[in-house]
Amino acid sequence: MAAFFPRWTNQIPLALAFGFPLSVVAIICAVWYWASPRYTDAGYRPEQPVEFSHRLHAGEMGMDCRYCHNTVERAAVAAIPPTKTCMNCHKLIKPESERLAPVRESFETGEPIRWNRVHLLPDLAAFDHAPHVAAGVGCNKCHGRIDQMDVVEQKEPLSMSWCLDCHRDPGPQLRPRDQVTNLAYNEHYDPDSDPKRKRKLDELVPPLHCSGCHR
Amino acid sequence: MPQPSTLRFVLGALVAITAACQGDRSAEPPVHLIRNMDHQQRFDAQEANPFFADGRGMRLPVDGTVAVGQLRDDGHLHRGRGLDGKLADALPSQIKLSRTFLKRGQERYGIYCTPCHDSAGTGEGIIVQRGAGMPRPPAFTDARLLSEPLGHFYDVVTNGVRNMPGYADQIPVEDRWAIVAYVRTLQRREYATLDHVPKRAAKQLGWTPPK
Repeated sequence: MAAFFPRWTNQIPLALAFGFPLSVVAIICAVWYWASPRYTDAGYRPEQPVEFSHRLHAGEMGMDCRYCHNTVERAAVAAIPPTKTCMNCHKLIKPESERLAPVRESFETGEPIRWNRVHLLPDLAAFDHAPHVAAGVGCNKCHGRIDQMDVVEQKEPLSMSWCLDCHRDPGPQLRPRDQVTNLAYNEHYDPDSDPKRKRKLDELVPPLHCSGCHR
Repeated sequence: MPQPSTLRFVLGALVAITAACQGDRSAEPPVHLIRNMDHQQRFDAQEANPFFADGRGMRLPVDGTVAVGQLRDDGHLHRGRGLDGKLADALPSQIKLSRTFLKRGQERYGIYCTPCHDSAGTGEGIIVQRGAGMPRPPAFTDARLLSEPLGHFYDVVTNGVRNMPGYADQIPVEDRWAIVAYVRTLQRREYATLDHVPKRAAKQLGWTPPK
């Protein structure tokens, strides 16, 4: 009787023995790398209706973040400034500029500029800027060196594990309260030996329970 | 066995996918396979809402209405003017002058005023220095400004003057007074004499008043 299975089928058990575990590992690695918010979310750099450069305003000219995002210490949201804030200066500076035309138009008509949100934190996570600023977390810890970006992009994954990394060990992320908006701050800082800090590290208990952020 | 052309396609696709790295820039919004509750049935601050004709999620107050707690009826605190309608030359009674208050003023001044007025108040801020069209504001030590009452500075910060815009929208009332108080200290340090220095501070610094 002729062989029912051709000879090459003898290799199937061996191929499966090696191939199956390898492909499982490969799939796990692929999901770990390409399904992570480090891949799916970080690097998002939408085009904006106005070519506003943070590198020029915050970097070169050294304006404080809070000149425009003035609600950051008081509210959950670091508000995108109204057009009036742009016009504080641009009424006089480059009043003929082509690139500022949408700003002038918005100021005259009262129609807001539709900026594209860069950091799209899902609605299921409640984030409040105010306590983070009050605790002394620098802007650049989450937003990166905005003062070096012409077009703002998302630098960090903003994933849950990324949040928790810091919530579990906030100490190394902190800086003096008056250095929060200094994006270049890169000094060693010990929160417990800072006489100006009201709440020491022990009193600072970032929530780790679910309802701390999901509420 | 699969055809070589299929194999080449699969390999090519794999290479194309795997060549993309974490953190690569993209103008396309993030793709989430599982979108549970990413967008909930609510509108966040500054979010667009197509329900309204103007597209704003945040509604403007109805014309002629005042929200609870927003009635600015204290002439001194909110307008810098006394009962006689003249600019007051004192801090409102609600505000206590203290070291922390002045420090607050210094910090707020640094955020909102230094771009034009510079940190010492000479009017040579970075925006003026760049010469892009912003005229140089007067130094706080100008004789005219030295004789102005505190209320004048509050009024200017709130409503603006000449080329300066008003900052009522950006800076809360108490912070505006803190800035005003700090501007006064910037003026003082220009013509201060040893008599102005508290005795204890002078002793610590080793300054002795002239005999």
